[in-house]
Amino acid sequence: MREKLHPFHITLLVFMIQQGVVVFSLPRLLALHMGYNGWIALFAYWGITTLNIMLISIVYRLCDGQSIFHIIEQSLPKIVVIPLYSFMILVWTLIGCMAAKQYVIIYQVFVFPTTHPMFMKFVVDVLAFILVIKGIYNISKAVTSFFWLVIWTVLLLLFFIKGFNWVDLTPFFFHEASEPLIGSLNIYTAFLGYELVLLLFPYSEKGKRFMKAVHIGNLFTALTYIAIAFICFGFYSFNQLKRMKYPVIDLLAYIELPFVERIENLIFGIYIFTALIGVVMYCWAAIETTQRIIPKAHSNWLSAIIIATAFAISWIPKVLSEVEKWLQYLGYMEIGIAWGLPLILIFILLFKKRRDESCIERSES
Amino acid sequence: MYRTQRVIMITVIIMILSGCGDQRILEKLGFTQTTSYDLAPDDEQSTSTEDQSKKKLIISVSIPRPDTDGGNKSREVLTAIAYTSKEGKIKLSRQTELMVVSGQLRNALFGLSLAKQGIWEHIDTLVRDTSISPRVKVTIVNGSAHELLAKDYPRHPRTGQYLDRMLEKEAGSQTIPEITLYQFTKDYLDDGIDPVAPIIKKTEEHIQLDGIALFQNDQYVTKIGPDQALTFAFLRGNFKQGEMSIDLSDVGRNDEHIMFSSMISQRSVKIKTGSGSNQYRADINIKITGSVQEYIGERSLDQDKDRKKLESLIAEYIKLKAEEMVAMMQKNQVDSIGLGKYVRKELGYERWKSTDWYDVYQNIEVKCHVKIHIKDYGKFVNKSE
Amino acid sequence: MKDSQPLNSSTKNNPTYVDENSQSYDESDIVPSLEHTLDNFKDCIDLTHRTFPHINVNLVYFDHLIGSDELARDVIIPLSQVREYEVQSLLKRSQYQLATDSKTVIKGILNGDVAIFYKDLTYLISIYKPESRSIQQSETETVITGPHDSFIEVAMSNLSLIRRRLKSSHLKVLKLQVGEVAKSDVYILYIDGIANMDYVQQLVKRIELIEVDAIHDGNMLIQYIDDFPNSIFPLFSTTERTDSAISKLVAGRILGILDGSPSVFSAPASFFEFFASPDDYYQRWAIGTATRVLRFIALFITLSFTALYVSVTTFHYEMIPEALLLTITESRSRVPFPPIYEALLMEVTIELLREAGARLPTKIGQTIGIVGGIVIGQAAVQAGLTSNILIIAVASSAIASFVIPSYVMSASIRLIRFSLIILAGTLGDLGIAMGTAYIIIHLSGLTSLNSSYITPVAPNNFDDWRDVFIRAPFWALRNRPSQSKTPNVIKNKMKK
Repeated sequence: MREKLHPFHITLLVFMIQQGVVVFSLPRLLALHMGYNGWIALFAYWGITTLNIMLISIVYRLCDGQSIFHIIEQSLPKIVVIPLYSFMILVWTLIGCMAAKQYVIIYQVFVFPTTHPMFMKFVVDVLAFILVIKGIYNISKAVTSFFWLVIWTVLLLLFFIKGFNWVDLTPFFFHEASEPLIGSLNIYTAFLGYELVLLLFPYSEKGKRFMKAVHIGNLFTALTYIAIAFICFGFYSFNQLKRMKYPVIDLLAYIELPFVERIENLIFGIYIFTALIGVVMYCWAAIETTQRIIPKAHSNWLSAIIIATAFAISWIPKVLSEVEKWLQYLGYMEIGIAWGLPLILIFILLFKKRRDESCIERSES
Repeated sequence: MYRTQRVIMITVIIMILSGCGDQRILEKLGFTQTTSYDLAPDDEQSTSTEDQSKKKLIISVSIPRPDTDGGNKSREVLTAIAYTSKEGKIKLSRQTELMVVSGQLRNALFGLSLAKQGIWEHIDTLVRDTSISPRVKVTIVNGSAHELLAKDYPRHPRTGQYLDRMLEKEAGSQTIPEITLYQFTKDYLDDGIDPVAPIIKKTEEHIQLDGIALFQNDQYVTKIGPDQALTFAFLRGNFKQGEMSIDLSDVGRNDEHIMFSSMISQRSVKIKTGSGSNQYRADINIKITGSVQEYIGERSLDQDKDRKKLESLIAEYIKLKAEEMVAMMQKNQVDSIGLGKYVRKELGYERWKSTDWYDVYQNIEVKCHVKIHIKDYGKFVNKSE
Repeated sequence: MKDSQPLNSSTKNNPTYVDENSQSYDESDIVPSLEHTLDNFKDCIDLTHRTFPHINVNLVYFDHLIGSDELARDVIIPLSQVREYEVQSLLKRSQYQLATDSKTVIKGILNGDVAIFYKDLTYLISIYKPESRSIQQSETETVITGPHDSFIEVAMSNLSLIRRRLKSSHLKVLKLQVGEVAKSDVYILYIDGIANMDYVQQLVKRIELIEVDAIHDGNMLIQYIDDFPNSIFPLFSTTERTDSAISKLVAGRILGILDGSPSVFSAPASFFEFFASPDDYYQRWAIGTATRVLRFIALFITLSFTALYVSVTTFHYEMIPEALLLTITESRSRVPFPPIYEALLMEVTIELLREAGARLPTKIGQTIGIVGGIVIGQAAVQAGLTSNILIIAVASSAIASFVIPSYVMSASIRLIRFSLIILAGTLGDLGIAMGTAYIIIHLSGLTSLNSSYITPVAPNNFDDWRDVFIRAPFWALRNRPSQSKTPNVIKNKMKK
């Protein structure tokens, strides 16, 4: 639409893209790979992602809010651009759909164990398609509504203050961490999502508040993760936490209200919104990129093809462990894109600036 | 665009309607509310030493049924003998027309013989099952769990419900700790504490609370009698609500009794490390506030002097009992109150891992320091002199 | 009152519309004459033709459209007292307008004018005063305290109700026409300086593009100018109450009155507007807030209660707390159908009852409602067709749906409820989540007159939340809603 995205909605958008399926096993991953009191590592993650976002904000300042595609296409030859775009399209399409598939499969561990997962995935993809074709402005409106529906669940954490025990946190820090390097990359995927902000440059209101909004969104994600992980580390003993596959779902299962119990099925169902936003935004990014290669394609049909392709490819991994492996590799590639793309853009922009300056010098002399 | 959207919607509707499997329609289910695990008695089949380790289990489940004829006690008890609990479940479901599900499980009972052998395997199965709530209570039965469960107790509601409510009520007044799957797993997997569980036994007409079972890892070692349960509560953590009857003859005042109730207790543990053979010393500080509801004795409660004296007497009594209990636990090598956690806090990681905690635990010097504060003493004043 | 917009004329000769203008010759050139006029109104027996033979004056009018007192006073008496040579000067007075072509004459007669034919001159005098309902309380929108007068079918009377409350020359009224055959008048009202002119122009443009035979009601009109006619949600807000209409004007919205309909519509509308009632402002803010919160709870209940019941009894039995478990199982044990069929059966029954109750005259309707509800409910439970817990769930959902002040919105919500129940019966909690996701996605794409339908949630404006989700005290409500994009934001300048 012709209206621009307000910074508040950008914050919520970043937050919702980052939230995903990983948060359910995050405390276990932290316990496994970061050891005792692993939740403290989340602060470091926040720092690293902030650095990445600062790179993006440098790009924003240098290019003055232009579309990044414009910049890339201006400076790099087509031979480089097309494979680069294809890579990005591939990774983005797959990562969104694989995350949705993981969500569906995890849901099936708890309910509907014999229904075919692709069936539910189909419905998720259809919902994603309907949302994607409405354009980024309407997507952000939907994201805002979803946010308000999801955020109140954080208040449920208050329920656990009674059972929380400081001494259970143990005074050890980071002992018994296994595979910290690979593990830390896996944990990093929980923070991915902010890099899509690069594509939002032309759609948002100009000004400094844009990047500030992204920082706030990231901070909010980090705080939520820290709160959840902190409670988990104090509520469960260390070895227990290492053995629970989805500690957050277990937390939800523990809550008992007078008129309903075991709300984890209901709440986990609500988290489909976050998985949906992941699919939608990554597919939207893929569609935007594809439109730069094939400008004449009708955007609705393009979206349908991309989502259908992703759906077809997500048939391939059938078991949870396979999906996790796919996501692991896709995650690495996405981390590469998150760091690589801004760096490339910075080089291009600096190079261009220098070239423009030398042109001006030559024309003046 | 709307045409496409409509086509999609129709497809979705068709597909949704075709995926109606996995239903769990309420009235077709048999909810197990209580299950019990026992070791099967030896029989001729298991004579060889190989079979000895693969003992069979007796598994019973109690399924409440809606009343069709006005009473409130109808339920179904199914029993099966199998090697594992899940195998048992399959055998059980052959005995009923309902689909046996465990999502509403409230209570897991373990017979004493099984508890002595170790119950972790079964707890593991229960924790692994996604439909079972982490709030399922874990209870040990002094005797055969199956017999306790199968019996109907007159003048009480359905056995499962009776048991459940009784355990909840007792946990509320601190005579037993509230042990759930979550709590048991947490303590079992933590190297600084050993799990505990309530223990019950069957009498002619009732189910009776028999105290607290103490475990080392997952094996039953010994128990604390119901009279001393409150002392255990003092040592284990903070609590509100509990009452204790104190016989002051143990501290030198014969024929004096006090009933101390509405207690609010706070406990803190400090560990001092030293060198030499008696390396560690634990100081357990307990602060209790409560009201006196019954006092049989010579002093008068409304005199400050007398009240202070009573407070110190009570403190001495509790200190005596607490130190006795800790000594008993040390002898049995069960760290049920979690001293290990505090010692762990004092040592660093390497020292803790290299310490054989059970060894050290036996020799730790533990001192309890108790402070009592009598909040009020009812609405009847002594004769003024 | 002058026309400030060109009259609606059809620009293309569409043969499907009965177009009075597409005669074999163009009316605008014809000099009006008595014969021609009478010929046009052939077979209209309700047309009155009076002559004054002594002065050679003919009157043609519709007797039921004019006020007889005015007729006597302005036409009959002057004409009967005058001699022939004075007729001309009499007719030069300002209330008699000279008509230059036949089309105007015919139009005038249809609009309640009296056509006066003298020699070859034709004059029109407007004395439109039809019979109409008196101003009474609206049946569909009632409040406990507050003004009770509401709009009626005569547009002039409605305009009068508004003008006497908004005494400002900034209140502008535009006149348009819709309906090829009906030629009903539509009046657009807005306050100059507060309303955003883009919206006014959009609205006028859309109304001008309508080409149908007749539009009977304001609710029908808004469906023709909708952004999204296929959506289930109403995109314009309608009201029959004067105070509502005025508050919308002051908020910066545009009002539309259709002659012949008591429903007045306003644009742009937001989803949350349908959950506000004038009552909220006439009571103290704490009570107003509590009522608003209650309405949103009612929205939640009506959408989810039955669906959750179906989902829990079909898939998620572990969510039931122990105390309720046996009660629910017992009540379900006698029912032969799975929960979803049971639920749909009861829901359809309730809808039938409601619809039947709406059609019947009040006295019978109430009896049927009570008797039907109680008897059917009880009998169904006793026969073992449904469980009593379900009856409670369905009844509470139905009652909660009536808490929503706007009738059209509550009808939409009731329909959504059905689809959520079906989803719950097939996919359990996940189905409910997906259904909710679809509703939100749909709502996010809706616009009312090109402004977002779910303002102030998105685009976000926390200030507006004070008047949407709660009812803040008046000293805190300082600005107009952001949706109206008004140039003049502050409405309350008081210090405290």
